Amino acid sequence: MRRRAVVVALGLAAAVAFGVKAVQDAGGGAPAVDDSFATAVTELPGSARPAFRVGRPVLLDRRESRARFAPVLRSVEALAQPRPDSASVATIATETPEGTTNIVLILRAVSRQDGTWVHVRLPVLPNERTGWVPRSALGGYQFVHTQLIVERKRLTATLLRDGRPVFSARVGIGQPHWPTPAGEFYIRDKVSGFGDPFYGPVAFGTSARSAVLTDWPGGGFVGIHGTNEPELIPGRVSHGCIRMRNADILRLARLMPVGTPLTIR
Amino acid sequence: MAAARAQPTSTRRALIGRGVGAGAALAVGGTALLGWRASAAAPAPSATLDQQIFNFALLLEYLQAAFYSEAVDAGALRGEIRSFAEVVADHERQHVAFLEQALGAAAREKPTLDFGSATRNQREFLDAAVLLENTGVAAYNGQGANLTKKSLAAAAQIASVEGRHAAWISDLAGRSPAPRAADPGATAAEVEATLRSTGFIKSS
Amino acid sequence: MNEHDAPVLDSLEELALTLAEVDADGALQETAAVAFPTTRFTFLKRSVGALAAGAAGLFAADGAAAVGQTKNDIQILRFDLVLEYLQAGLYTEAERLGALTPKTLDWARVVGAHERAHLVAIKGLLGRNTVPSPTFNYGNVTTNERAFIRTAVAFEDLTAALLKWQAPRLDSRGILAAALTLHSVETRHAAWIRHQVGLQPAADAFDKPASQQQMARLIASTRFVAARPRLAGRRRPRVTG
Repeated sequence: MRRRAVVVALGLAAAVAFGVKAVQDAGGGAPAVDDSFATAVTELPGSARPAFRVGRPVLLDRRESRARFAPVLRSVEALAQPRPDSASVATIATETPEGTTNIVLILRAVSRQDGTWVHVRLPVLPNERTGWVPRSALGGYQFVHTQLIVERKRLTATLLRDGRPVFSARVGIGQPHWPTPAGEFYIRDKVSGFGDPFYGPVAFGTSARSAVLTDWPGGGFVGIHGTNEPELIPGRVSHGCIRMRNADILRLARLMPVGTPLTIR
Repeated sequence: MAAARAQPTSTRRALIGRGVGAGAALAVGGTALLGWRASAAAPAPSATLDQQIFNFALLLEYLQAAFYSEAVDAGALRGEIRSFAEVVADHERQHVAFLEQALGAAAREKPTLDFGSATRNQREFLDAAVLLENTGVAAYNGQGANLTKKSLAAAAQIASVEGRHAAWISDLAGRSPAPRAADPGATAAEVEATLRSTGFIKSS
Repeated sequence: MNEHDAPVLDSLEELALTLAEVDADGALQETAAVAFPTTRFTFLKRSVGALAAGAAGLFAADGAAAVGQTKNDIQILRFDLVLEYLQAGLYTEAERLGALTPKTLDWARVVGAHERAHLVAIKGLLGRNTVPSPTFNYGNVTTNERAFIRTAVAFEDLTAALLKWQAPRLDSRGILAAALTLHSVETRHAAWIRHQVGLQPAADAFDKPASQQQMARLIASTRFVAARPRLAGRRRPRVTG
């Protein structure tokens, strides 16, 4: 209210000062002054300060590299072709050997008359087996932008995010008669707090299987884990698993989400 | 105020600009030091303030209703742009009716308007309509938080439709229907300046 | 108890906890219970009710005083955040899968960018009072043109209506001022998409509000909210070693 009184007072004072000039100007065809609207404006308060500001629109990075996985909702047959009458390739369970939710890496999806079929990477032997399942057997898609690459000759593991290396470590891999298999796989789950120093503080399950230790309890899955024998790394020392020093596996665990594609060369 | 009415527009606008614009700027960008000033600039909602804000909105709605009605009558609009003007003229008339009824005897007078060729030329119509609708959105966003809750609920129903109008006419005009992730509110002074820049308001 | 039942119960409890965090008046709980009918329905309702009562008090004590937001406003913001998680996820997945027509992807790209920006802003305001995203399963909605359009139109219309319902219920005028800047963009989205697909962009002169309960019903009807998969565990790894 004080401000308005000031403005009006100024206005009147100015009117007195400029009154003569105004009368002269009015004769020259100046536009009529829109008085009551201007008055209404002076009476209105400013805007309340917004509690937050929204930033610029968040565009997706077109160069982002990503893979897609989904949880298995029900036990389902993976088929050779995206047709209900196709041969079965494998049965996919809803849980991993560690009791976590089973997931599959998705390669692509096609829409058919009877619904959407999804081509998935399977955690079965022979390694790199794929099959088709109905979309309805899987849960929501989750995207990852990371990829883990294990080089058997160089005994290294490198994590890429959107194609750029963000982690690297030396590894121990399978002894010659228990080789770590080559191929395209994915990280299936993560376990910790299990209290077995042989595997270190954290272990990842993968979809890769040992081709020779097929009788192994749980099926002979290849894992990525820590170790209580760090002096053996790097080396060809394990039953097929990829071993890292404990500090490295802890670092990897902070950077690599479950579902990350795994390439073993 | 008769003496003030005869004042040259530019001097009076400068005075008003300094008075309201500065206050509004302090309110929007207020720091802890100027907190007292910020709260003075955005006082507690009240029935009186509601009336002032509704009258402010009523001017905008009068302008829009008259603009679209005249454009429809002028017959220069084609196809969906014509349909837009017909539909929106009806909406704005309903907004006017609502605000007039809510204000009763306190309702402002109708302004004297002159749209020139903006209602007779499709290209000019599009430019003006986009400007008016976007200004309406900014005006409601700027004053909405100053309303009492009951008035806010009603105003939001109108503001919502203005947002739809803005996107619709922008799409028709080949502009982005939603150019930003959030529509900032405009101060009363900013809205006044924008409306004045159209030249449509002869007196109010 | 067969193999299928056990994981479903665990995940439903987790789902209930997530919903309870945002659902002070029980609306989401009711609709969630309806959306996920199981033999454990009664147990779920009871446990969800207990969770809601506990959760509301828990989060209020935690952060409300610290950032000066009232319990009421935090509850409203959390509801909006869950809605933004859902919408941002929907548009993001649709854009990434790229299976829709170019015309649809054009607006989906822009609208998605806005919803993601809203998500960041609301999450930032909530700070420690934030809630994590539910798990979503969009099924074929992100790849089927008709289903996607119908879903987008429904959500944009109802989000705008929801914000009108919430506006007079907010305690903070600053949050209200910010919410209005989002509300008008949602109405723009609604009109734009409708216009693009041949629907009336602005059907009425006055847009009605819609409650959180109504929005919760829409969310439940989509069956998008899914059980969170257990990707991590504490058992010994069953690997070759």
